[in-house]
Amino acid sequence: MKNNHNNGKAKKFGMVIDLDKCTGCGSCMVACMSENNVPFKADETDKRLSITWMLVYKLNNGKSHPDYDECYLPRPCMQCEGDHGHSPCVSVCPAVATDYSHETGIVSQIYTRCFGCRYCMAACPYHARYFNWWDPAWPADMEKYLSPNVSPRMRGIVEKCGFCFHRYQLAMDKAYYEGRDELEEGEYQTSCTQACPAGAIVFGDLNNPKHAVHKIALPDSKHGGRPKNPNAFRLLERLGTNPKVYYLSSRKWVRDSGDNYRPDEK
Amino acid sequence: MKIDRRSFLALSIGSTAGIHLTPLPWKLMDDMSIWTQNWPWTPVPQDGAASYVNSVCGLCTAGCGIRVRKIENRAVKIEGLPGHPVNDGRICSLGLSGLQLLYGGTRVKTPLKRIGERGAGQWQKISWKQVIDEISKKLSEQRKSGNPQTLGAICNSDRGTTSHLLNRFLTVYGSPNFLRTPSVQSSYEIATTIMNGSSGTVGFDLENSDYILSFGSGLLDGWVSPVRMIRAHSIWKDKKARVVQIEPRLSHTAAKADQWIAIKPGTNAALALGIAHVIIKEKLYDKNFVEKYGFGFEEWKDEKGQTHKGFKQSVLENYTPANVAEITGIDVAAIISVAKDFAKSAKPVALCGSGDGGAPVNLNEMMAVHALNALKGAINNKGGLQIVPNPDYILWPESEMDKTASKGIQTERVDGAGGKKYAQARSLLNRLPEVINASSESPLQTLLVYNANPIYTMADSVAVKEAFSKIPLIVSFSPYMDETASYSDYILPNHTYLERYEDSATPYGSVQQLISLARPVVDPLFNTKQTGDVIISLAKAMGGHIAKAFPWKNYRACLEKTLGDKWKTLAEHGYIVAKKDKAPDTASAKFDFAAQAVNTDSKNDAVAPADFKPADLDGDVTAFPLVLIPYDTMRLASGFVGTPPFVIKTVGDYILKENDSCVDINPQTAAKLGLTEGNKVILTTPKNKASVRVHLSEGILPGLIALPRGLGHSAYDKFLAGKGVNFNALYAPMTDPVSGLDMTWGVRAKISKA
Amino acid sequence: MSASDDKLQEGATDSAINAVSRNHEKNEQADNAGGIVILFFIIGLAASMIVGWIVFPKLLYSQKDQPISFSHAIHNLEVEDGCESCHFFREDGTFSGVPKLEQCIDCHEEVQGESADEAYFVEEYVNKGREVPWLIYSRQPDCVFFSHAAHVKKGEMECNTCHGPIEDSDNLKPYQENRLTGVSRDIWGYNIGGFKKNIWDRMKMDDCAECHKKSLGVKDACFVCHK
Repeated sequence: MKNNHNNGKAKKFGMVIDLDKCTGCGSCMVACMSENNVPFKADETDKRLSITWMLVYKLNNGKSHPDYDECYLPRPCMQCEGDHGHSPCVSVCPAVATDYSHETGIVSQIYTRCFGCRYCMAACPYHARYFNWWDPAWPADMEKYLSPNVSPRMRGIVEKCGFCFHRYQLAMDKAYYEGRDELEEGEYQTSCTQACPAGAIVFGDLNNPKHAVHKIALPDSKHGGRPKNPNAFRLLERLGTNPKVYYLSSRKWVRDSGDNYRPDEK
Repeated sequence: MKIDRRSFLALSIGSTAGIHLTPLPWKLMDDMSIWTQNWPWTPVPQDGAASYVNSVCGLCTAGCGIRVRKIENRAVKIEGLPGHPVNDGRICSLGLSGLQLLYGGTRVKTPLKRIGERGAGQWQKISWKQVIDEISKKLSEQRKSGNPQTLGAICNSDRGTTSHLLNRFLTVYGSPNFLRTPSVQSSYEIATTIMNGSSGTVGFDLENSDYILSFGSGLLDGWVSPVRMIRAHSIWKDKKARVVQIEPRLSHTAAKADQWIAIKPGTNAALALGIAHVIIKEKLYDKNFVEKYGFGFEEWKDEKGQTHKGFKQSVLENYTPANVAEITGIDVAAIISVAKDFAKSAKPVALCGSGDGGAPVNLNEMMAVHALNALKGAINNKGGLQIVPNPDYILWPESEMDKTASKGIQTERVDGAGGKKYAQARSLLNRLPEVINASSESPLQTLLVYNANPIYTMADSVAVKEAFSKIPLIVSFSPYMDETASYSDYILPNHTYLERYEDSATPYGSVQQLISLARPVVDPLFNTKQTGDVIISLAKAMGGHIAKAFPWKNYRACLEKTLGDKWKTLAEHGYIVAKKDKAPDTASAKFDFAAQAVNTDSKNDAVAPADFKPADLDGDVTAFPLVLIPYDTMRLASGFVGTPPFVIKTVGDYILKENDSCVDINPQTAAKLGLTEGNKVILTTPKNKASVRVHLSEGILPGLIALPRGLGHSAYDKFLAGKGVNFNALYAPMTDPVSGLDMTWGVRAKISKA
Repeated sequence: MSASDDKLQEGATDSAINAVSRNHEKNEQADNAGGIVILFFIIGLAASMIVGWIVFPKLLYSQKDQPISFSHAIHNLEVEDGCESCHFFREDGTFSGVPKLEQCIDCHEEVQGESADEAYFVEEYVNKGREVPWLIYSRQPDCVFFSHAAHVKKGEMECNTCHGPIEDSDNLKPYQENRLTGVSRDIWGYNIGGFKKNIWDRMKMDDCAECHKKSLGVKDACFVCHK
């Protein structure tokens, strides 16, 4: 296991998304696209071909009216830690284009390293990875709004959410410049967290008991980060992917949708 | 020495060996891998110094504060402005995509003059000087004919200096025909005028409410002030306020509500009165408020001494839960329990105006719901509706009028607003096509269109286009090539909201009195001009008293002068919150349950709040057995701004699939019609037909079909044009007999397999 | 292939009588031919070595001159804060890199001294408000993220550790651009073999990694330096 060299403790950046507050407005999706130079094309209705690092799913309880109910669930990359960094995608990448950072707990994706075999896409149980089937194009003057902090991708490679890691780097630059090594909780926030009109997304260091994410999710480090908050759950918990995105819901059917259960279970 | 085959082999072996003793292969391999990682056509964004510009979003009327990140002179990201009273750092998907509009391919880059047929897309570039010259000449000529009232303007707001300049231009020209795009606020304005006797606008203090009874208001679907509403929703969750959503389809608002009451569409007023019945019967209303401020709750006498039934008696007699249950399709028990919950809450509020609030509500429903607030004293109280005085910072000297102007301004408005029939209405844009199409010569000879896209947003697109084709001169100020701009004669492109100075006053629905200042985030990209400047130039070109009414050098000078000592603060902070210690509007501290203002016909209390009249939908029930209702989503803009590519990308494939709109149908209804998920069908209404796909949803009542608003554009670029169906093309408006506003909530329809 | 192979082949086709003498002749020829083969081998080897070590770099890199001449040495004498006087950190902790005209104007609003280059600079750039299109020797491809703050502020490294003793240079060397990648030659280094004498001779990923390994003792996550 690798150590960190950042003086302080290793971070484990994670997210708690309150599904009671999420209204499915889609701001997080667009906040992500506009922050990360995500391309777009004329027809985006084939969702298998549509690149959305952050995707809001619409769940329902499968019942008929009047018991029918819906819930919206935003899904970024889960930044799975697996067992000590053995994330599903990292372990299958033949090019070391994707890697688990023990210093921050974020799964990186290096576009120039990727050669597009898509093993990682097959391995990801959350469909959080996207393939560039086409070269991106920004018509008219739209290239002007591209952010220099994120490299535009090319055709033939895989891309995904990286918890706006460039924002961490910018925040660290500022901290170093001011003679600090550590960030305040609010200094590094992802674009979706910042935009969410509902304030449903909370982002921070799961290792830091003072951070809201830790206080809300109460991750149990002895059991692969399983949440101790009874309303909190993670997607496909039983796969052992040890994701860093926690969800909150007061509705049981929503919590149950997070995993696959046999009818006779529980 | 003989050079043979072997020598060549030796040479090539030597070369091969030699080349491997040089760095060439390794270096080339390295370079080639770098080359393949950096195709020249993949853009490399230029780095540089980052900076932020604070401004105001101009994509809807909510007026959220924005903070735009720039790298050198490029704008690269729009974020919410922290601390802003409307959105406090948060932002919606439309606001986030503003840069796609700024830098996108739908901009009008220079003034254009039509050379082909209207709408054929043939334009000639024209200089600003010449275009001002040509239009001012035409206007002068038109004015000389003695009918200055034939000049009209359409605008999305009557607030802010640009709208005021436009309105002032019309006034000195001699026309009263300043037409505002209608919305739910138009209905609220009329209701407060009638029942509170106040001309102020309604603010919603929802953050402080503890029980929100929403009659179809899409609080989480873009209603009035989308980001603020979603923020309020989170506050409700934290403090366990209760939200009850009454509508026939499970919108996002209904899905997030504590209770969803699936009501028969068009019967909201009956339910409101049923709830009032229970509250009155159980004596759960706020006696103090009703006695102190209320009029017409009990029996009352008019000026002639004639006695009228009070609101109380009418409601008790006609709207028993049993009656209401039959009209609305809701259980008696549910009606009673909602009424009791509402009445027993400390700070309840009742809201109406469906979807994103872009459409008005029929007056009966509005008054019935407003009466519920009065019963609980939720007017001008914490957590309720607040009647906010209109912004008053634009104080220009009265303009000098000549004879033509004084005469023209006295003529009745073309839409009849403020006239005998629709006395309370300020503007009735919805009536314009009907009025124009009914006359042989259009009563409007010239139409100026600012911040509006009527050809797309108005009901019955065919009739609207017919009406517009009868107007000889249409001038659009749109920065984008939208439907109306493409159908105009001249386009005088405005800067986008990210390139111009512009003030905006208290946003609709806001409790706080705000003034915000939009500032240029980037220098104008193209040969465009602030519409304020264009109006000032037009006025100056026309000379005489018209020029005199516009004494400012340019728009910027006008803005600075108008804002006076506020300018400095606004330029620094971007917004000002007016002091809250201003005494509430005393005129609005009353409530007329009898709505005397509209009950001039004293024999029958025709439009009393205590009244529900089922609306007769257009079309025959046997031919059109289904009812089509529109719905709004945060992921589609249905107003004067087209949905940008990023936002279209977020639209689910159950709303838009390839180029087809999907309609929600209950599986029961679909089974009866033999339809399954994804079927392509023809949707027919008495007005029009369209090809759509079927989406089965348990979240809609049987017998209904629902179509999303905001699709079906013919203008803009390939990212929006030609996608889906425009609901506005499928129905003819129903005019409310009292308010004059469009009160359509649905239209009869049928579905047949394609 | 060898002479004995030939013997077998040819022997099989020729008559037995002539076989011996022919074989003898053939051997002589083979010795001779062997010399030629070696010669050709050496020619090939030498030529390709010349191509690889001398011609190839010349072909690979195009050479451009900087738009105006510039002396770091003179400037370094004039300024107070050393490198950071012009190559400063912005308040947000990012690094400004090559100065913009705006900073030059602080001193060069008027022509300083009597150099013709200076006069040209003021006339062409300062007066016209045009940015100088400097060619940047240390510019990395877009996929590289480099934090000056982490190295200079946190790591307390000196500028010339990576950039060399640039502060003493009197002029700007010609800029050599890799025709394939568009990257400056300074990244790979002037030694086409990739050998370096000083840390600042090369700026490839291996060179970064070498130092990171040495001073930090870890292999970093990829996205510490890549985007």
